[in-house]
Amino acid sequence: MMNALFFATLVAYFVATALQFSAIAFKKEGVGKSAWLMFLAAVIAHTVYIVVRGIMAKRIPLSNQFEFSTAFAWGVAVLLVLLHFRVKADWLNAIAMPMTFMILSYAALQPREITDLMPALRSRWFVFHIGSAVISYSAFVIAGCIGLRYILLNKKGREENSLKLRQMDWLSYRLVALGVLMLTVTILTGAIWAEEAWSAFWTWDPKEVWALITWIIYIVYLHLRLRGKKQGTAMAWYVVIAVPVVLFTFAGVNTLMSGLHSYG
Amino acid sequence: MMKKLFQTFRSMRFGILLLVLIAALSVIGTAIPQGREISWYAQTYRDFHGLILMLKLHDVFHSWYFQLLLVLLGLNLTLCSLVRIRTVIKARGLETDLLLEQPITYPLDAARCTRVREKLLAMRCREEMAGDSVQVYRKYGFGRYGSFITHLSILLTLIFGAAALYLPKVTDQTCFPGEALNMEDGTQIRVESFRIEDGEGNLDFTSEISIRLPDGRESGVHEIKVNHPLSFGAWKVYQQTYSTAGSITVWNLETGLEDTFTLTDLVFLSLDHVNGLWYEALYPDMIRDPSGNVTLISNVSGSYPNPVYQVETASDGVYTPILAFPGDELQVGGLRFTFEDPVEYPGLRIKYTPKAASTLLVISFVLMIAGLYITFFCQPVLVRLDSEGYTVGGPKPEGMQIAIQGWLEETDRKEETL
Repeated sequence: MMNALFFATLVAYFVATALQFSAIAFKKEGVGKSAWLMFLAAVIAHTVYIVVRGIMAKRIPLSNQFEFSTAFAWGVAVLLVLLHFRVKADWLNAIAMPMTFMILSYAALQPREITDLMPALRSRWFVFHIGSAVISYSAFVIAGCIGLRYILLNKKGREENSLKLRQMDWLSYRLVALGVLMLTVTILTGAIWAEEAWSAFWTWDPKEVWALITWIIYIVYLHLRLRGKKQGTAMAWYVVIAVPVVLFTFAGVNTLMSGLHSYG
Repeated sequence: MMKKLFQTFRSMRFGILLLVLIAALSVIGTAIPQGREISWYAQTYRDFHGLILMLKLHDVFHSWYFQLLLVLLGLNLTLCSLVRIRTVIKARGLETDLLLEQPITYPLDAARCTRVREKLLAMRCREEMAGDSVQVYRKYGFGRYGSFITHLSILLTLIFGAAALYLPKVTDQTCFPGEALNMEDGTQIRVESFRIEDGEGNLDFTSEISIRLPDGRESGVHEIKVNHPLSFGAWKVYQQTYSTAGSITVWNLETGLEDTFTLTDLVFLSLDHVNGLWYEALYPDMIRDPSGNVTLISNVSGSYPNPVYQVETASDGVYTPILAFPGDELQVGGLRFTFEDPVEYPGLRIKYTPKAASTLLVISFVLMIAGLYITFFCQPVLVRLDSEGYTVGGPKPEGMQIAIQGWLEETDRKEETL
């Protein structure tokens, strides 16, 4: 039953993405609307899946790579929905929808069985540490999607100082700011937790180091952009290129490097 | 010369350069496994291992150049913070005057001016009259300090982080239940009990411990487990590892005296050093196949389900290997050996640290989160509006400029649709 719901969600994201591309290719507004409705249905199914899994596991479902990836994809999807209603960011759908689908596809490759929370993860910091990481990564990914859309629009000849592009640039900046704030929460709650669990605030574990590298990358972005010294295409490229670093911190470190964060 | 050096050290460009170098070295520090034996690097990197060792790439995060970068970053943050707070305080009183001196940047008709005013009031901006028909709207005045707070908190994190990293004295020790560890300063850490599993068979790894300080103060008995250390005075005790030891009661048949020994290593229990019992090992479990062959199992998670003692009796030069189980008895060399249930015991990590360093570090963490929040989500709003148009001022005008233009465009679009 749970597997069926998970794969139904995955298929719904795929169909939404396919419809969105069709809407762009054939310039059919109605198809675009269907894509959005399908995407909303997928987000609802995704939310139900996470809630039910949490109830079945009797804990917040964020304890392994599958659960984190599922929550990450959900975070990206929810941010897209929020942006849709808040700033009417329909122009983002064609990039953010496939991104959600890809992250959830990565989750589908991970073991899905529900296991007990291992003793090392039974801490009051667990929810803050992992929850803030989900929000942070999602914000960075959506900022990257906006960056990509900016580059594409700019290539089409829209001027950099047009209101539309300036709004996109500003939105991307705000999302990076949210991501940095949340990543700071992740790192700092992680440090306090590490002191409680391993006796040291910082151990130079690969996951810690890559979180720090990600943080530095976005801190540099914020400084470059400070007071509008650097904006527009250069910064759009910056947030796009930074996304693989986020994805590496999220998945690559756990796959390629062993360390204290290897919880499966 | 000094002025130029000062300007370099406090510049944002220098700060960014330091951050990029720290990030680049961090990448190397994760690409090359850190802190292994030198022979491992020689085997793995062959021709390059000399270069790796020479550049200390096998211990990047403790290398002098990495530490130097952190010190320089601290210096950069100090100077930035000082310059920033001075600038912020100086500009605070002048921003409104500067704004009023500027000509209108965005001319608007009266109707649109009203719309902007309504929006600004809806945003809960404070409205102030600054002359005939000129209004100034403000919000989040404290937002100008966000950047200073953030930089200061990062600096404090570096300082207190270094203190929290280098000041504590950490030791790992094992202790059997019922025994105590005596620390150098006279503090006594006593292990009352330890269990691997809880009553329902779930892995638990919990010790009951108490701490008594040299001045006689006592913590009382507390449970410690992973993520739940006991902190008392300057001591912090962590449940780190665990192990299981054999337990044998030895009865002297001649004197009638008896004693129970907890055994972890190879040991010979004897009266005359010739006849007696060699304790070799304790195994968690065993499998006996139909033909009677025994396979000892050396690894299980949790408590030993079926503990097996591997011992050897020595009697007049004859050695006989034996597998024994809890409850079994053996008699050799004038001694009777009774095999008891194994003893589970914890490995404790004991940390002695001045509490102030950790507390101040956590305070700087809180300050950093608050600083970042104020910097990005409470950006100061300063707008001048009159009947001809508006001008956005303050330290960060970009967001407001885009927001107002966005509102106007949206209302224009709505009106067109109507």
